[in-house]
Amino acid sequence: MSYVVAAYGVTLAALLGYGLALASAARTLRAEISRARPNGG
Amino acid sequence: MSDANRPGMRRWKRATAVALALLAAAWAWTVWHAPLDSVQGVIQKILYVHPPLAFAAYAGFIGTAIGGALFLARGHEHFDRFAAASAEVGVVFSTLMLLTGPIWAKGTWGKWWTWDPRLTVTLLLYLTYVAYLLLRGFTEGNERAARFAAVYGILGSALIPLNYYAIELFGSRALHPDNLQRGSLGEGMGLPFLLGVLATLAAFAFLLVRRFELGELRALHAELSARAALREEP
Repeated sequence: MSYVVAAYGVTLAALLGYGLALASAARTLRAEISRARPNGG
Repeated sequence: MSDANRPGMRRWKRATAVALALLAAAWAWTVWHAPLDSVQGVIQKILYVHPPLAFAAYAGFIGTAIGGALFLARGHEHFDRFAAASAEVGVVFSTLMLLTGPIWAKGTWGKWWTWDPRLTVTLLLYLTYVAYLLLRGFTEGNERAARFAAVYGILGSALIPLNYYAIELFGSRALHPDNLQRGSLGEGMGLPFLLGVLATLAAFAFLLVRRFELGELRALHAELSARAALREEP
């Protein structure tokens, strides 16, 4: 059972972590782009 | 306001995230209730996650080849960024395939790894696209490198059919189980497997869209920074 939990656990944790990392990087970039645009748009 | 920040787009993103979560929950429920395999026991349930991860990895590398071919044909940087995004997401799924496989192997074969033809070609496929990402990382923004990467990504995809058919090609030397055929799963195992494939491919598409969007934002950010630097020059 521990092998099954490990296989599903590592998959879920890695995909969630990667998704959150992408979302965080995009949020940071959007904020910087918003500040860098002359009209702030 | 960027397109990705518009309220309609935010609602769409939230809706796709909820749909993905529901699909994953349905998959988990069917995996939990799937019958135990008479030979392998509970460890056989890794079947519902390991091959779907491989299919998602294949999708990522095929996306890289398609993006690269379109970039070579039309020259739009969006296609190049799509190719790079697809390779990265493909490598993430490929990494997970290479983690879940040895976990299953340890529980059934008694060892984490063996130089079986399927496993060897899988490692080769993985390293091919890790090298692609390294190349992209070291040569970011370079047009010639992007063209080289496009050709590399297209040629690399030739390893996908070799990987899939490795067991048939190398026959009796293969330790890895055969590819699944229609009817090869026991009763009650088809639905969790199908949901596993659907949920994993949906997660792949979800992450690919977000990774592509990040690449577009990086390009826009670089362009704005370059313009700002020009304005500041005396």
